[in-house]
Amino acid sequence: MRSRAALLIAAALLAAGCAHAGEAISIPPLPDTGGRVNPGLGPGTRPLSSGPGYKGSPSWSPRGDRIAYIVDGYVAARSVKAADVRRCTTTDFLAEDVEWTSERGLMILGSPSGAREVPRSVYRAGSAERSLGVEEIAEDALTMGPASGEESMLIALQTTPSASGLALVGDDGAVERVYTGTIRGRITGVSVSPDGRKAVLATRTRGERPYFELHVLDLREGVHRRIARLDEDLEVFGAPQWTRRGIYYVAGRNEMSADGSAAPHYELYRIPPRPAEPEPAPGVGEGFVVSSIRVSPEGGRLAVIGRLDTTAPTNLYVLDLHAEDLEALTDNEDMVIRTGPDDLAWSPGGESIAIVARGALSKEPSVHAAPASALLDDFYNIYEVPVGASR
Amino acid sequence: VREAALWVSGAALAFVATAGAFLLLASLAAGSSERSLRPNPRSSGSGPALELRLDGDQLASLRALPGQELDVTVGNTGRKDLSNVNITLVVSSENTALSGLRYYRETLDELASGTFVTVHFYLDLSAREATAASSPAAVPETPRNILEVRATTPEGTSAVKTAILPLRLES
Repeated sequence: MRSRAALLIAAALLAAGCAHAGEAISIPPLPDTGGRVNPGLGPGTRPLSSGPGYKGSPSWSPRGDRIAYIVDGYVAARSVKAADVRRCTTTDFLAEDVEWTSERGLMILGSPSGAREVPRSVYRAGSAERSLGVEEIAEDALTMGPASGEESMLIALQTTPSASGLALVGDDGAVERVYTGTIRGRITGVSVSPDGRKAVLATRTRGERPYFELHVLDLREGVHRRIARLDEDLEVFGAPQWTRRGIYYVAGRNEMSADGSAAPHYELYRIPPRPAEPEPAPGVGEGFVVSSIRVSPEGGRLAVIGRLDTTAPTNLYVLDLHAEDLEALTDNEDMVIRTGPDDLAWSPGGESIAIVARGALSKEPSVHAAPASALLDDFYNIYEVPVGASR
Repeated sequence: VREAALWVSGAALAFVATAGAFLLLASLAAGSSERSLRPNPRSSGSGPALELRLDGDQLASLRALPGQELDVTVGNTGRKDLSNVNITLVVSSENTALSGLRYYRETLDELASGTFVTVHFYLDLSAREATAASSPAAVPETPRNILEVRATTPEGTSAVKTAILPLRLES
């Protein structure tokens, strides 16, 4: 009996020894971001770029494994998992928007001369080619937007000083269709419906008192009709977004603040399928200040960069259009989130959103024990913000 | 009964000794594993280690002009003396489309263990020539100057510090 007890004690001691040896395995893994994760935007945020440069206009490749963006006017692209940054244009190029049309093809709205010309041109560039040359595929371009589910791009063209037209251009740069029906005014934004059959256009009509309109273009029939005309002191910011719950757009004006400076005050509106009358977008709450919006790939959600009120910090939100529920994705403490109309982009699967942000500028020199190319907060960089379960 | 008690006590003692040996071996194995995953300490004192120091007040006094003086202090915090310590200072613009990196370099023939040496640089921090890339259309903000300082030895010991200077155009 005693011998059995002794055996049990010895076995327990042996087990204790093995358990101790096993503790060495529980060393936490190194983070896979290759650097520190910025805490200023909240947990889960992952940098997709680093180092100096004024970055903006992120765009995901169709497979979601690469991201292109504009940095200091030129276009660059890299893998979302490795820092293999590659320039796609020369550094004197002045790009305003960049979109993927295929895994290897990019379309760029801009000017190679560095001048801010209006209208500009649309160029085609390869994301994997060694040459930095671009091919001009459309001149007199006003804006552009991806055609739904196809390797093509809708390009708004200036046809006369007071009228616009549209062209559908393929990934190879070939014009697939020209929509000859002239649209009055300049097209300032275009987006395609979730089923790819129609497009919504924002236009600005010149005159003594310019005004904005929204039009719907039937991409099969080639006919368009006006669906809204805004008050003369209101302007549409960015491209309207066609969702499964109607057309959403940002409109507003610059208002004078107490200190005499102009403060933009834009709100989110919706034109439901029926009745097709503009209304304040449900779900965002009164006083919400919107900067930029982008519809999700499946059309049921809207990414929104904005503020809960004029004194709140800017954050990234997702508006569930069915539930009319607004969810904050970032917990911004001291970052500056860029608010340009193209400064946010959904990943193709709708599981994350790319935004552009940097830390607040300091009046004092900042010193870091790292090379400049590894720094994040000091410069505008691209961040991937997870959305959660795709709906 | 006495023999049996002795036998049981001896057996228990043997098991305890064996278990103890296993515990000792496990501890040694775990310890070496953890050490191998840790990054090398920067200044453990056991080997060569470089340290760079930039003076905050002096950085704050720099202006976007030629002839700006900056002191860089290089220290050897290891136990071995170092030789041929290269200090490279690169002045670049926050605007990556602008060319014209400015390089400055000094070499310390010897840097004894435990010593710090201050190296003086005269920098040109004036603005680069205006190009299309520096137009407000491309970048709406005036870019800041970036100073990246590296100290390296032929043996591979290195240190890096990057300073970002706020925009101050006037003297």
